Amino acid sequence: MKTVLPRSLRATIRKAGRLLCALGMFGLAASLAAPAGAADGSRRPNIVIILGDDLGFSDMGSFGGEIRTPNLDSLANEGVRFTNFYTHATCSPTRSILLSGVDNHVNGLGNMDEYTAPNQQNVPGYEGHLNDRVLTLPQLLKDTGYHTYMVGKWHLGKQPDQIPAARGFERDFSLLDGAGSYWDMTSFTAANPKSVFTEDGRYLTKLPKDYYATKTYTDKLISFIDANRGDGKPFFAYVAHQAPHDPFHLPKEWRNRHVGEYDKGWDAVRQERLAREIDLGILPPGTKLAERMWFVPDPITLAPATRATLGKKMELYAGMVENMDFHVGRLIDHLKKIGEYENTIFIVFGDNGAEGTDLIKMIAGQPGTRDFLFAAIKWSQTHPKAWGDPGSYVGYGPMWAQVSMTPFSQYKGWMAEGGIRNALIVSGPAVERPKGSINHGVMHVADIMPTLLEIAGADYPKVHEGRQVPELIGKSWNRMLRGQVDSPRTDRDELAWEIFGNRAVRQGDWKLRWQHRPFGKGEWELFNLATDPAEREDLAAARPDKVRQMVALWDRYVRTNNVILPSRSIFETLEDQLPPRVPDDPGFPPLIHQRQFVPPDDMVADPKR
Amino acid sequence: MYTKKGPMNQTLWSRLALVTVLVMGALAPTWSLAQMPARFYWDTLSGASAVPLIFESINGNTNPFDPAHIVTPGADFEATMAIAGYARTFALFDRSAMAAILLPMGRISGDVTVAGSTFNQSASGFGDPMIELSINVIGPPAQKNLADALRYEPGFSLKLLADLALPIGEYDNDQPLNIGQNRWYGRLGLPIVWQLGPWVPGRRTTLELLPAVWLFGNNTDYVGQTLETDPMFQLDAHLTRDFTEHLWGSLDLAWFNGGQATINGVQGEKLDNLGLGLTLGYVINENLNLTLGYKSTLNDDAPGDLQMDGFMATLVFGWHPLIEGSRRLKGE
Repeated sequence: MKTVLPRSLRATIRKAGRLLCALGMFGLAASLAAPAGAADGSRRPNIVIILGDDLGFSDMGSFGGEIRTPNLDSLANEGVRFTNFYTHATCSPTRSILLSGVDNHVNGLGNMDEYTAPNQQNVPGYEGHLNDRVLTLPQLLKDTGYHTYMVGKWHLGKQPDQIPAARGFERDFSLLDGAGSYWDMTSFTAANPKSVFTEDGRYLTKLPKDYYATKTYTDKLISFIDANRGDGKPFFAYVAHQAPHDPFHLPKEWRNRHVGEYDKGWDAVRQERLAREIDLGILPPGTKLAERMWFVPDPITLAPATRATLGKKMELYAGMVENMDFHVGRLIDHLKKIGEYENTIFIVFGDNGAEGTDLIKMIAGQPGTRDFLFAAIKWSQTHPKAWGDPGSYVGYGPMWAQVSMTPFSQYKGWMAEGGIRNALIVSGPAVERPKGSINHGVMHVADIMPTLLEIAGADYPKVHEGRQVPELIGKSWNRMLRGQVDSPRTDRDELAWEIFGNRAVRQGDWKLRWQHRPFGKGEWELFNLATDPAEREDLAAARPDKVRQMVALWDRYVRTNNVILPSRSIFETLEDQLPPRVPDDPGFPPLIHQRQFVPPDDMVADPKR
Repeated sequence: MYTKKGPMNQTLWSRLALVTVLVMGALAPTWSLAQMPARFYWDTLSGASAVPLIFESINGNTNPFDPAHIVTPGADFEATMAIAGYARTFALFDRSAMAAILLPMGRISGDVTVAGSTFNQSASGFGDPMIELSINVIGPPAQKNLADALRYEPGFSLKLLADLALPIGEYDNDQPLNIGQNRWYGRLGLPIVWQLGPWVPGRRTTLELLPAVWLFGNNTDYVGQTLETDPMFQLDAHLTRDFTEHLWGSLDLAWFNGGQATINGVQGEKLDNLGLGLTLGYVINENLNLTLGYKSTLNDDAPGDLQMDGFMATLVFGWHPLIEGSRRLKGE
């Protein structure tokens, strides 16, 4: 069902709405300002953004994963898959850009709140929460007549003026922290032992009975939708699932759906995923896998028990994704049941690369510290049989994070493609491209806000409450979604990122990247993503001209967005913690790979007397 | 966040699987009360070996070295016994199996009444060695490697069990009280382990049942007479629960029925008795498991009732070449 009105008509209605506002008819303004048939706001599409926390590029079946995601795949089959979609390298910066449409160094997440560097403190743009200089997508959609709902992880501020209810969400059930238990309010450190939740703007003292994050978030959203059904207003739902972020907490019935399937090891699973990606058309034939991280062993050299233990982590991760898919399916089924599915735009993606860092080791600290004691009480269910239970903390490590990001290099927190490139599905009435098609245009999470504002007929003001509002940095997808262009960007448009001191610029097929050692070289590296999406070959030495040109783009980005490189970084001592970096030449050294020599049968003999 | 050891540190967990090897607290049991301790029939990694050492101090009106538990009314026996053995686990048709041999030894003394005469007797030495075979028939397949052990959960497991005692123990046909029994006997049983709840060390709960039938040959030289014993039905039940990863406890119940003895055509009483016990188990380290327990018959007031009570301590040393080799490589 096509519900987007012609732009000229929308513009006319917007003008009328502004005039009414000017006349002081505030009560009517919101609804009349809606462009898509002011008298019948319900004809505007509902919008559902489904965000998977740390969901990897190749995890969904429709992107080559062996993980069973029939409900997300159904959205892919009815919509479009995008293979060149970028988020940020970590979660709160991505979320801040998604909800503000503004660069993270401007909107308050110039660094994650947890890692703000000394030289960034008290600097505008580095507040650690979504600052009040930016407007938010739900705020503008609400102003234009949408119901605005949020469930799941917020991670953009905890103070009363920073929570979802204060930033435009009419109804919410939100985890304000960046992660935590899926079963209760247990958080990670002695200093912050309790996760903070809000429901409809009130801080919760306890969680509902039978709470399990993914299930409860879905239950709540369905109740929000039902509560306002029939009033003729469309809704915007931000479904910021905590899953599949670690800890991999999972109901028992979801833990054993892949027993033994990952014992084959990460290399084999990556190769299988790559083959399916090529077969599906997600990646071009000839695409190579990125290097296996040098500190990750060749799995075929590992003992069966080691592979089983490590494989079990991936089994749990797969269960997390499948459980999330199940609850997405519940939402889809409900929308179909109430007749809203056909009029709903779905946008599905992961917020950054898959998580390869061992968070609990970082959080729990050393014996004798208060965090270690806290973890001993709250997070010490370490036996594999307990994985998934309350009190267990399982992440899947760099080897499986690379699998989730097949074929790309590295993972969350880094500027390699494995840190910032993610799978994207868009479906629903805004999409006029062939169902199930795949698009390779360069996209960015900042594009979502202008796209949805345009669909909803909402304006993005230059001035709000007397203050200049930062410009949106994204580009609307609507012409692309209608099939009029293949990408919202040209080869001259650039994208840029910075977090923890890692930085990158992409323009056309070229990417310039600077990363802390030893993941990077501590200097600029240059890659051609068209021929080398796995970023195996650094062309900086061969193309100094291109480096200079892209460094100039980087410098402009820094100036425009007040990028302050951090004086301290979580990666500053990483080189001292990891073994020296070496190439991942397959089969080296032969000593540990060569099989037992078996002589020809006809030359075998017992010793002579 | 990262370590120079890389992401493989977690493989240490595989060692935990080994603890299972040692939880063969098992070989412990004893024939006193003809009752195996809780957790005796847990399956474990194939290729593991264990040497049990069991000490018991028993008092009652029956000879604890005789699983028939022939009651001697008015008798008051005191026995100190030990059992040493060797057990080996292996896979048979992809099922978990175990073969073991147990050798009882010790001394017993007390008053015995035979044909109206009371004697003060004592005996010491080695008893009848017993061979035991068991194989799982319902439940998970054999744990042939650590990966299998890692994933093992018993759920509802049932085994076939066969015991056979060899009548070569110390025997004196001049007195009824002996360490050896001078007859063939054995047992057929169906050990059941029923997992209740999670299979996480520290949180495991099981209900374990062992219905079994003891079968006895004749002793044709029982103080010059012939001793016959009917088959005896025995049901052992244990409700076990982990207290921590290393400490567990068990409430033990045993029911004996049948086993009517006949001496030269004169029939004795059938057994119909209950025994109740408590056991604490402690995993000292990867190799060594300790259990301490006490058992006593309940409905034992009548002269013909079985009366027994005793303390038991078991030490089981278990090992597996894989683990021992790993330990050597690590210099532990």
